[in-house]
Amino acid sequence: MPMLSPLLLIPLVGALALALWPRPTPPGQLRLVAIATLILQLAWSLLLLWRFDASAPGLQLVESIPWVAPIGLVYRLGVDGLSLPLVLINGALTLVSAICTRDISQRPRLYFALLLVISSAVNGAFLADNLLLFFLFYELELIPLWLLISVWGGAQRAYAATKFLIFTAVSGMLILGAFLGLSLLTGSVDFSVHPVLEGQLAMGSQLLLLGALLVGFGIKIPLVPFHTWLPDAHTQASTPVSVLLAGVLLKLGTYGLLRFCLGLFPQAWTLVAPWLAIWAAVSVLYGSLAAIAQRDMKRMVAYSSVGHMGYILLAAAAATPVSLLGAVFQMVSHGLISALLFLLVGIVYRHTGTRDLEVLRGLLNPERGLPLTGSLMIVGVMASAGLPGMAGFISEFLVFRGSLAAFPLATLLSMVGSGLTAVYFLLLVNRAFFGRLAILPASDPVLDSRLDIRLTVVKPRETLPAIALAAGVVGLGLLPSALGRLSEGASTVLANATAALGGLG
Amino acid sequence: MPVIPARLTHSGGLPSAEMLQERLLRGETLLADTADHTIQVVDVLESYGIVLDAYSRNLIYQAEQQFLNPFPVFRFLDGDLSPARLWRHLIHDRINFEYAEYCQKAMLWHGTGGLDAYLDSPDFRSKCQSIIASKSRRDPLLAGLHRIFPDFLPELIRSAATTHALGQFWRVMSDLFLNLAQAEHDGRVVTIHDVVAFIRDGLVAAAANPITYSVVIGRERLWVLPPEAGLTFLVDVAVPYVEAVFLRGTPFLGTVSFNAQAGQISADQSRFTYGALYADPLPTMGAGVPPSLLMQDMFRHLPERLHVLYRQRIRGEGDVRVKICCSFQKAMFCVTNAAINGTFPHPLDSREPAEQAANRAYAAAWAARLAVARTDCLDAEPFGSKV
Repeated sequence: MPMLSPLLLIPLVGALALALWPRPTPPGQLRLVAIATLILQLAWSLLLLWRFDASAPGLQLVESIPWVAPIGLVYRLGVDGLSLPLVLINGALTLVSAICTRDISQRPRLYFALLLVISSAVNGAFLADNLLLFFLFYELELIPLWLLISVWGGAQRAYAATKFLIFTAVSGMLILGAFLGLSLLTGSVDFSVHPVLEGQLAMGSQLLLLGALLVGFGIKIPLVPFHTWLPDAHTQASTPVSVLLAGVLLKLGTYGLLRFCLGLFPQAWTLVAPWLAIWAAVSVLYGSLAAIAQRDMKRMVAYSSVGHMGYILLAAAAATPVSLLGAVFQMVSHGLISALLFLLVGIVYRHTGTRDLEVLRGLLNPERGLPLTGSLMIVGVMASAGLPGMAGFISEFLVFRGSLAAFPLATLLSMVGSGLTAVYFLLLVNRAFFGRLAILPASDPVLDSRLDIRLTVVKPRETLPAIALAAGVVGLGLLPSALGRLSEGASTVLANATAALGGLG
Repeated sequence: MPVIPARLTHSGGLPSAEMLQERLLRGETLLADTADHTIQVVDVLESYGIVLDAYSRNLIYQAEQQFLNPFPVFRFLDGDLSPARLWRHLIHDRINFEYAEYCQKAMLWHGTGGLDAYLDSPDFRSKCQSIIASKSRRDPLLAGLHRIFPDFLPELIRSAATTHALGQFWRVMSDLFLNLAQAEHDGRVVTIHDVVAFIRDGLVAAAANPITYSVVIGRERLWVLPPEAGLTFLVDVAVPYVEAVFLRGTPFLGTVSFNAQAGQISADQSRFTYGALYADPLPTMGAGVPPSLLMQDMFRHLPERLHVLYRQRIRGEGDVRVKICCSFQKAMFCVTNAAINGTFPHPLDSREPAEQAANRAYAAAWAARLAVARTDCLDAEPFGSKV
């Protein structure tokens, strides 16, 4: 029985069911259909986890159907220790996004259908074992996400959505260009994923194609200087979309970095790795310093993503078994932590009407503030800052431990970035959550009379997804071996292949 | 001055000192006269009256039965050492008598008025020596302690005297507040004006009550505050209490850290503004913050009518202690209002220019102190009441 195709079909069928659901239907009912579909998808992912053999390296449970064989498009899916954690994260976070979507006033049918289409496409991208198939799924999530931002976003959503569309479209074109270029230069229509060596393709061509892929995936990750779309997209996107964007969609970039940049061009990768490490350090430091300068909580969390994605580039540049395992950990932990932080920022925004750190004060007040939200925020920022016992610690430790020998300077600079994470998140917590509860208006507080704010109480159902994510963050931090066992084989195979073929080690 | 002044944490308009002075001189109530305010004030004072009854009994028990006990471990049990009482104490099913102690310590520390003057007198010192001599004959440990630290036991007696005086003061206030609630239930009190008048009349009626305190050592009764000291309820205990607890307070507990070295606390104790009338009703509710202890106690005995009112408003019971604190602050303004009305040097309707000037000066002095208090709660749509 095929195990992977249902992961694509379940959300797609759910989206179709939503489209055909009898009208008129209350939004709550549509939401329930979406949630039920996503629960089924997550359950299937867990079944996949159960069927997955962690001890076997390479792709498993492969399904292959020649689709448009003359152009090399083969419907070939497979799963390994690199993609399985991301499939699980996708299932969990899309479900969280759907659960968090409440009070949707306009076009709920379209909204939930798009959410399901994105989830299906992301699963397809993570499971695709064909370059063209990957590209199709990579592009498939673009338009739905653009719609999610441009229809259900904030006041500046048109600007943010268009910027997102342009950047991601360029990213897609570069990736497609690189894949087609590879075919053109090697004279083969075989788009299966296997390393390209110097005998097949000159180093100059390899570097050119790798460069295109690096920029393409660098936009999606995003890495400095291709990151400018992300803070705007996050700021304008609704909370569930931000959760999905940060938790899942950015991982398409990092996954592409490992699977296609490193996997396809190990020799060229070896040549550019020192520069990539420097790029990673710059990205980490820039993201962290930019986060310090933000006064919008959501932009701060968005810039923290820019910084934290740099760790994955550093780990990929080092390409050691430990660093690559750290990269997988970082993808999963960042998915959980950023989703948690965006959820909590969303709760703060919904209840206070602002995310301005110059305005919010004392939200941790147990009587009239948002004490549980504040407590979870502290858990989230501790995890993001890499405190032991949390998911962030094990990820960063593995990344730094695996990269230090290869690139000591870049690793040390990245470690400074990790310290800066504590700086900006403590600023956030200190400004918004500690002190006397208040919303300090920009104008005269005496005239505005807004200091004694009357926040409505946060309902348990609002924080339940955040509690689940926080439990995941702590669980992964305390018991990292489960994920380690799952991904160790794949990361070791990738690292060994890079070392053997690229001349490292 | 407070680090976070009222003008930065208020919810509404802050009347100026001139406006407050005019209100006082015209005999108007400081608190806006609304039906909502009447319910809040009467009901919160009813629960306060019940709590004060417990505080009063315990303070008097402590002063009389735990007298010169250097380790008063069971002082909150009112002499009832039954397992059931101990269990209820341990699981905190009890009144927070610690709050009463905080108030007593505030009175002792600020030390104003006739009571403190008597405690500094040679007569009191000689009484202390007699008491210590009598006690030392029966308690060698205490005798040794007194020999090593000669100032310790007099200080304990001074503290016990304040404790007993506060207990007597709260005895009167407890009865007064419970009578007020009964009067409101009977329809004799309807408006805030009625409330203030009722409290004023109660205070005036009790003004001359003698404040005395004696202890029994062996079979001998010894006076600590003798009748001949002439201490009375209003001038010697009520006014110092208002000064210490309503106005000055203590800057050590609450949400804000005060840095004395940075000059955040006035070197002049008489200029302290940390009392109940200045308190921010929104502390972080950390353990042990005195106002939160009192609010917990009042919540135990909250009348159902006020409880229902709170439940209907934003956050329901989630911030009930803050709501009680807001109502309590309104009630304390009413009590202060009544005390000021009752202690004007001359009748407010006097036509004599000299008497009018004296009244005006008296009102101005109070208005100046109240103008920087949390008078935003006086409005008709105050903090915590409409939503």
